[in-house]
Amino acid sequence: MLFDVERSTIAGRPALTVRGELDIATAPQLADAAEALLASSPAAIVVDLTPTVFLDSSGAHTLVTITRRAAAAGTVLHVVAPRANRPVRLPIDLLQLDTVVPIVDSAGEIPGIAAGHDAT
Amino acid sequence: MTSRPADPATAVDAAALARCADEPIAVPGAVQPHGVLLAAAEPDLAVVVASANAAALFGRPVAGAALGELLSPDDAARLRAGLRGDLAEVNPLRVRVGGADVDVVLHRADGLLVAEWEPVPGAEQAGAAWHRRLPTVLQRLSAAATLEELTGALARDVRALTGFDRVMVYRFDAGWNGEVIAEDRRADLEPFLGLWFPAGDIPAQARALYTTNWMRLIPDAGYARVPLEPAVTPATGRPLDLAGAMLRSVSPVHLEYLANMGVAASMSISLIDRGRLWGLVACHHYAGPHRPSYPDRTAAEFLGRTASLLLPTLVSADEQSGVVEVAQRQAELAAAVGSNPRALAAALTGGGTTALDLLPAAGAAVRLGGELHLLGSTPPAERVVPLVRALLDAGVPVTDAVSRAVPEAADLAATASGVLAAEVAGGRGDFVAWFRPETLREITWGGNPYTSKTAQTDAGPRLSPRRSFDAWSETVRETSRPWRAHEASAARALAALLTRTRVDQAAEDDRLATALQRTLLLDQLPKVPGVELAARYRPSEDDVVGGDWYDLVPLPGGRVSIVLGDVAGHGLAAAAITAQLRHALRAHLLRASGPGAALDGLNEVIGALLPGELATAVVAELDPATGEVVVANAGHLPVLHASAGGASYLHEGRGPALGLLDVAGYREIRLTLAGADRLLLFSDGLVERGAGGLAAGMAELRDAVAAGPVAPQALLDAVLGALDPPRTDDVTLLGIART
Repeated sequence: MLFDVERSTIAGRPALTVRGELDIATAPQLADAAEALLASSPAAIVVDLTPTVFLDSSGAHTLVTITRRAAAAGTVLHVVAPRANRPVRLPIDLLQLDTVVPIVDSAGEIPGIAAGHDAT
Repeated sequence: MTSRPADPATAVDAAALARCADEPIAVPGAVQPHGVLLAAAEPDLAVVVASANAAALFGRPVAGAALGELLSPDDAARLRAGLRGDLAEVNPLRVRVGGADVDVVLHRADGLLVAEWEPVPGAEQAGAAWHRRLPTVLQRLSAAATLEELTGALARDVRALTGFDRVMVYRFDAGWNGEVIAEDRRADLEPFLGLWFPAGDIPAQARALYTTNWMRLIPDAGYARVPLEPAVTPATGRPLDLAGAMLRSVSPVHLEYLANMGVAASMSISLIDRGRLWGLVACHHYAGPHRPSYPDRTAAEFLGRTASLLLPTLVSADEQSGVVEVAQRQAELAAAVGSNPRALAAALTGGGTTALDLLPAAGAAVRLGGELHLLGSTPPAERVVPLVRALLDAGVPVTDAVSRAVPEAADLAATASGVLAAEVAGGRGDFVAWFRPETLREITWGGNPYTSKTAQTDAGPRLSPRRSFDAWSETVRETSRPWRAHEASAARALAALLTRTRVDQAAEDDRLATALQRTLLLDQLPKVPGVELAARYRPSEDDVVGGDWYDLVPLPGGRVSIVLGDVAGHGLAAAAITAQLRHALRAHLLRASGPGAALDGLNEVIGALLPGELATAVVAELDPATGEVVVANAGHLPVLHASAGGASYLHEGRGPALGLLDVAGYREIRLTLAGADRLLLFSDGLVERGAGGLAAGMAELRDAVAAGPVAPQALLDAVLGALDPPRTDDVTLLGIART
């Protein structure tokens, strides 16, 4: 299974689109990509798990780490994990990651940039 | 840099340099005025060529005269006798000319006998006392154990013998730049020791001459040259070859050089190691003209020849000394690495001996596990990794001219003109590297600070000696002192040691983690009255230790807590966290009012002591007497409850994973195990990697349990067989029933 983190733009914000299995083997790639993106302290970023096919506890851990790094950088983070993506959404729900990580069901739920950065 | 555009001034200098190199210094067609040169044809000894000052010495014209006519009959007979043997044994032939003593020095050139006549009056004499001390001097030279002692003694004794104001010993480097390695001088003169003289100060053809002619003397740097007559030797059609003549007139460039340095008289003696010009004994006099007598000069030359014979052993000893020091540092670093294999970077940068001490360099870099540590004077941190990477990729790990291999690093010349790098294998891009600055910045240039200029002459611009420094600095720009072979091999040996240590360490970590996890899993489940327990743990086949753990904690009053947890991550770090969480949860279970409160306590432990870690855990507290079960779940997969009517997950009462929230407030749900009811606790490895993902895996598990045997041991085996989870993750299963 190919894994890939692609730099993209979602809802007008710099984004990382995660394809493939996000697990102990691949999570460091997402962490590195997010670290690079956060280095310039952007106002907001998006991590898109729509094309992600698997999420384990290491992947979940990485999402928590990114959330904390974003908070420290003053960056508003949104993680897109559609309910329809069960392999990803189920572990998120089991771990109750959404208590910490700002999870949205779709990119459409992310407020436009003009709406400000006070979401979640 | 060869790519540096040549400005017009540089072009002029280049042409002038070439002219200097072309200058026919062996055939100047003139001599110095402190003696007379006559070249005579053998065997009748008729004078063929004479210096223009001959008539003044002899009081008569000499052209065509026989040498015998210029001498007393007795002296003429000694001359003729001398010519039959080795001329070196005749020199000097002390004769009387015009009532004064004259030393005659003979050699043959261009088929002629060349006789040089040097009046004894006016020469400085060291005196008989010095010559009686010669055995002591020789003993001092031969007793020298180091190059420093030898050259120091040489400088002192040559000065004592010849009376020059300053006597220096130069050593040439590979580019013919000369370093002053020993000096003896008049007390009021500033020291030149440690200074460097650029190669251009002694041009190539002069060096070639110095290899055959060991001694040069200029008693008066302000002399007027005395032409030879005729200028062209009839038999050869060329000016007389003066390469072996002590009176040879030197290059005007050299005289200008001496004048610029304030030198009134000079002498130099070659130091030759195994046929190659190794250095010079350079003597300067500032007070005025200075002419040591021929015997004293011969004695000085003899000291130079003696020192030359002693050079081979001392030079190789000098080269060896660095080898011993580097080997000693290498051993110290290896010991530091060996005693601290888990903190290699600290061992190399924090101890008494650091990586920078391994070999002579201005700076060092150690990159281990992706972390860069810098020591001493290095390029800025953000440039170090790209520079070393580029050199390693270009296949030039050892270079004293970085900008030739990596032109974009030319601006780093001040710290990294030379780099010695060695890769630490392991695929993480790690390395050790040493840096040397540009040579120019290390070397103090010797000579006076006169503004150099190119003198305008009839033949076009001629190189003025001080310009040679500019030419020299061009040739050495962006280069460092070269790395020696033993230094490069020490660097490679250290990198290899680090690679090996890290591989050993990884294997050791694996063993440790496995051992640690074994303590986390129970060899034998404790016997709890009224409860039947079964456990299965299957490690991943990747031989990587996972973060699963389970536990059975008997509580006061006969109850028992059954725990299954999972720490995110693998390997030693995860195993260590797992151990801490397991013990922390045990303590909380024993003290807390119930499993929910215990998980709250564990969540606080993570927040306070293990920030950033993420774990899940589920606790089922069973009272065997009543069958009452209290379950609390921190982000873990739900407990499966199997009963006669089927199996169902306890989805209620779940809370977030441990470490997510500062205060979690885990809730508890209660159920009762009736009759043949069983509880199944499991880790995600059992269900998440199946074809349909986690949801399908959980459904499959529920069906397998519903259809499986009642007894927990048999049930777990049946479940593992039915689900057959991939071996990529570790799998843990706990089954509980009442008896």
